[in-house]
Amino acid sequence: MSGTIATLVTVLQSDGIIPRGSRVEVFDAIYWVFLVLGALVGIVVIGYMLYNAYKYRDVGETDEDAAESKKVERPKLGELPRGGGGGRKLFLSFTLSAIIVISLIAWAYGILLYVEEGAAEEPPTEQAEALEVQVEGYQFGWRFTYPNGHTVDSAVGDSFKVPADRMVRLNVTSADVFHNFGIPGLRVKSDAIPGQYTQQWFIAEDPGTNYTARCYELCGAGHSDMTATVEVMSQEEWQNWYEGTGNETETGDDGNQSDGGDDDGHALEDVLEEPVDYGMEVHA
Amino acid sequence: MPDDNNGDDGSVPSGERDASPESRADGGEVTDGGHAVREELPAGDEHGHDFPSMGTVKRWLVTTNHKDVGILYTVTSLFFLVFGGLLALLFRLELTTASGSFLTGTAYNQAVTAHGLLMVFFFLSPFAFGFANYFVPLQLGAKDLAFPRLNALSYWLYLLAGGLFGLSFLQGSTFAGGWTMYAPLNLPMYLPEGVGSTTAVMAMIMFVISVTVSSVNFLTTMHRMRAEGMRIRDMPLFSMSILLTVWMMLFAFAALLAALIILASDHILGTTYFAATEGGSLLWAHLFWFFGHPEVYIVFFPALGMMAEVFQTFTGRRIVGRKWFIAAMTLVALQSFVVWMHHMFLTSINLEIKTLFMATTIGISLPFDLMVFALIYTMIKGRIRFTTPFLFAFGALLLFIVGGITGVFLGAVVLDYEFRGTYWVVAHFHYVMVGGAMAMFGALYYWYPKMTGKMYDEFLGKAHFALSFVGFNLLYFPQFVAWETPRRVYNYQPEFVTWHQLSTVGAFVFGLSFLLMFYNFYKSYHHGEDAGDAPWKYASSAEWAIPSPPSLENFPGVPSYKGGSLSFLSEEEVHGAAAADGGPAHGHATGDAHAGGHDDHASYWPLLSSVAVFVLFVGLAGTNGGGTVYTATAALGGLALLGTAAGWVVESFHVSEPELASRWPFDGVENTKLGVWIFLASDVVVFGAFVGSYIFIRVAEGWQNWHHLLPADHVVLPGLINTYLLLASSFSIVLAMVAAEKKSRAGVVAGLVTTLVLGIGFLINKGIEWSHFFHIHSEHFPEGWTFGTNVASSTFYLTTGMHGLHVTLGLLVLLWMIPRAWRGAYTSTEDGDKPLEYFGLYWHFVDIVWLFLFPLFYIL
Ligand code: HEM
Ligand SMILES: [Cu+2]
Ligand SMILES: [Cu+2]
Repeated sequence: MSGTIATLVTVLQSDGIIPRGSRVEVFDAIYWVFLVLGALVGIVVIGYMLYNAYKYRDVGETDEDAAESKKVERPKLGELPRGGGGGRKLFLSFTLSAIIVISLIAWAYGILLYVEEGAAEEPPTEQAEALEVQVEGYQFGWRFTYPNGHTVDSAVGDSFKVPADRMVRLNVTSADVFHNFGIPGLRVKSDAIPGQYTQQWFIAEDPGTNYTARCYELCGAGHSDMTATVEVMSQEEWQNWYEGTGNETETGDDGNQSDGGDDDGHALEDVLEEPVDYGMEVHA
Repeated sequence: MPDDNNGDDGSVPSGERDASPESRADGGEVTDGGHAVREELPAGDEHGHDFPSMGTVKRWLVTTNHKDVGILYTVTSLFFLVFGGLLALLFRLELTTASGSFLTGTAYNQAVTAHGLLMVFFFLSPFAFGFANYFVPLQLGAKDLAFPRLNALSYWLYLLAGGLFGLSFLQGSTFAGGWTMYAPLNLPMYLPEGVGSTTAVMAMIMFVISVTVSSVNFLTTMHRMRAEGMRIRDMPLFSMSILLTVWMMLFAFAALLAALIILASDHILGTTYFAATEGGSLLWAHLFWFFGHPEVYIVFFPALGMMAEVFQTFTGRRIVGRKWFIAAMTLVALQSFVVWMHHMFLTSINLEIKTLFMATTIGISLPFDLMVFALIYTMIKGRIRFTTPFLFAFGALLLFIVGGITGVFLGAVVLDYEFRGTYWVVAHFHYVMVGGAMAMFGALYYWYPKMTGKMYDEFLGKAHFALSFVGFNLLYFPQFVAWETPRRVYNYQPEFVTWHQLSTVGAFVFGLSFLLMFYNFYKSYHHGEDAGDAPWKYASSAEWAIPSPPSLENFPGVPSYKGGSLSFLSEEEVHGAAAADGGPAHGHATGDAHAGGHDDHASYWPLLSSVAVFVLFVGLAGTNGGGTVYTATAALGGLALLGTAAGWVVESFHVSEPELASRWPFDGVENTKLGVWIFLASDVVVFGAFVGSYIFIRVAEGWQNWHHLLPADHVVLPGLINTYLLLASSFSIVLAMVAAEKKSRAGVVAGLVTTLVLGIGFLINKGIEWSHFFHIHSEHFPEGWTFGTNVASSTFYLTTGMHGLHVTLGLLVLLWMIPRAWRGAYTSTEDGDKPLEYFGLYWHFVDIVWLFLFPLFYIL
């Protein structure tokens, strides 16, 4: 049994079956598979349930007739509870459902590995070098810091500009409470936790499109409005914009509150596995 | 302890409504169907209680009877359903537009938060426990729960905790940080101004205390008071589900209690656990979800048990694979404690841990498949009658299937990444939880005839089902479609507005359908037909073998399953059997010759103590920021609590243990002792959570860094002295017990006094140490080293302070015991030394805890 499962797992995780590409593509693949299978299972099980309920409805025959024809013993008042047999069928359907669920999950696990590790090693884009951006949530807005130190802030209406077809890696944290940074259109989401850094990546494919980033963890009165615009640019365009931002001194947006010194500026490097190369040159 | 026997019986006729002659006559079925013998109630049943009748208000204030308490729970929980439901309708109205209109900002957050807390804590579980109170003793064949006064206490604590929560709305603003109360949004600096948030936290603590008391009570009852011949696995599935629920509650709520105490301390004392940048947020998430995932099953299991019961009755088939059903439930109950991190897939936990928790999560979903199939197969060859209870149970199973399938989506981590924080989650958990609630409404129809003696109106019942089922799906299904909406927002993507409007229409259909239910129950109570003892054909458990509603003492004799099915034994038969069974060794705890029928059922103390706790908590919530009125209120409440505690012990309240019962695996201990054990087991988890939190924060901070956070004066010596003091006191309490064994009154008094003195020494030593730390003026700590100085001081004061509180409580009990010992209470009778033994258990436990705290806080 466990052997079969192991083989199954290997098959399901073999390269051919695991979708690759941007997160949107990956998500779509897995979501539709789950949706179709889930709906199928749901319809079969619920249909079977309704069928039985109808078939065995009480049609008012006397107990004796019924017990004769169906050969079943009915529960009696005051008896010690007992089971009603039918164990084999139960196990058969249980095993079947277990196989479906386990193989689905094994397959999904392959995708998880791809998302967490595979894509990290060889990004599915021509542009190998990923863009690393630090995202910091605060009550109530998002700050994005590029490798050259340039910072944009959603609260003053800045948009988060990203190049198309290039992997963007996010290092997400928070300046105050627990937030969650998500761009539903790009299928990326990550907790923003004070004192912690979480990593996620995404690839935007269509230059000229705008997406909305939102907060997915209740963070106070302004939670509903904690959005940011994500602007996808062609690589060239983005490069031009980016080069123009280089030598700016960081304007600390101190308009937004910080809660009495929790953010004592631990350098990002402490937390990242590989220190960010702030002087990194980017070539299109 | 409070419920042990220390009294005599009055003999005033009870006003209890007796079973009507008709319903008795109906009961003949038992004799036909099985070997059960229905005897006329012994005349003695009529006396023994100074107990007002059900028509009086007083009855409901003093009652400790499990059926009365069950009704109180049911009615109260329905009140909170309406409360939480109205809040939901309010924000559903807000959601009919995609941008904020009338309920925005903090107001919206409060409504959503209060809705979640009220529905999960104040409606679902108490609703289930209304049934558990009423029917578990009946299904087991017990006269009442093991500790009836504690049961009433649970109820009043619950009701007043709800009152406290309501009060928080009036104090500026209630808690607005979501029902998951994530840190650090749960701290005063991020919450709306005013003491309301703190009051809400205190209300939650009060609720958890109620749950803990109740868990101890149910566990003791279910393990020691089953009718003869009923093994654990022979319990009807509803009782079985409650047993597992209560075990989960005991441990899960202990973790929540610790988390809430820490939170309250952050609010009131200014400790800095959850404000800690290093790890504070994650600490809360771990503590909360360690509780939170079992909680999911805690609210669902009773519903599952009720579904099984209703399926068996209305299909006329025994549950298919019953023992596998039980095994599956047990497995889930155990596993529920090792899946909590699936709520944290998007935090910084690493891939290995994600993998592990993905596996356990999928593992826990599989037993549910088995249970669902078991219920479906039970219908085969059945004679299914589509009564209202069955329709609800059937509908609930259907909803649960949808909820379960959509849950598997969430178990696939990559999908969870996208679903987290969206309406997918909202829709999924409503399918599961409100699905469970549907099963429980079915159970309400199922048991209504038993509880009231009247039959409900079937047509109205079916109409209620139809409307609520349609309303439910209209309410929640669109939320799957519009799943990309973030949770807890009033401002969402405009393209989803139609789906949300549909959902709101569904909400009103669903909500209004309950008017039918209330009307039905009201009308049927006054004008319904008499239901008879056993209105449902094929119902098999014991509650259907007695009148509707059952008499105060439940059974016409002593229930027994020795012969394979239910029979009622007379007193003589019981004595015969008990003697053959190894004699009074089991029944001796009462030390009472006529242990039969003269139990007490009335006490004011549960109510009064709960009021005292209420006052105390109102005060405590405001001590930091509310002004001196609050401090005075707290003091008043504290004094009142002490006073009422004395009331409990002084009151003579007689409860007998059954002479004949199945008690596996606790044959050798008496109820009170088992109760103390179980309580201590939950206390172990509370302390475990405190110590775990300390270690978690210290690791996040850097284990060795920690020393910089401690003042130089934090030395080992005071701790060491205290260790010796406590060890010595453990020894002296043992000496007292030995002396009691030898019937030496002086020895007992000497032992207890020594323990008291050592305990006081412990507290004084601690007091000196603390006051020194508070007034340090060193370079690093110019302002002293107080609660809020840093994480090290916070963990130090709170953890050792919790322990100190345990010591103080022990000393209060000792103060009570010493004069009694002097008067010979523990030496004059055979079993008189029991209370000493219980106290000893507690005291040793407190000492052992210290043995862990000492190295952690003084040496490492
Ligand atoms: C047994 C009944 C119910 C239970 C146990 C329950 C439980 C919950 C919980 C735990 C939450 C999460 C609160 C939070 O995010 O902090 C919630 C949210 C919500 N509930 Fe319920 N609920 C119940 C009934 C209802 C009903 C009857 C409605 C509709 C009228 C409803 C509509 C909602 C909505 C729309 C949300 C999400 C609000 C948001 O995220 O903005 N619930 N519920
Ligand atoms: Cu937010
Ligand atoms: Cu969970």
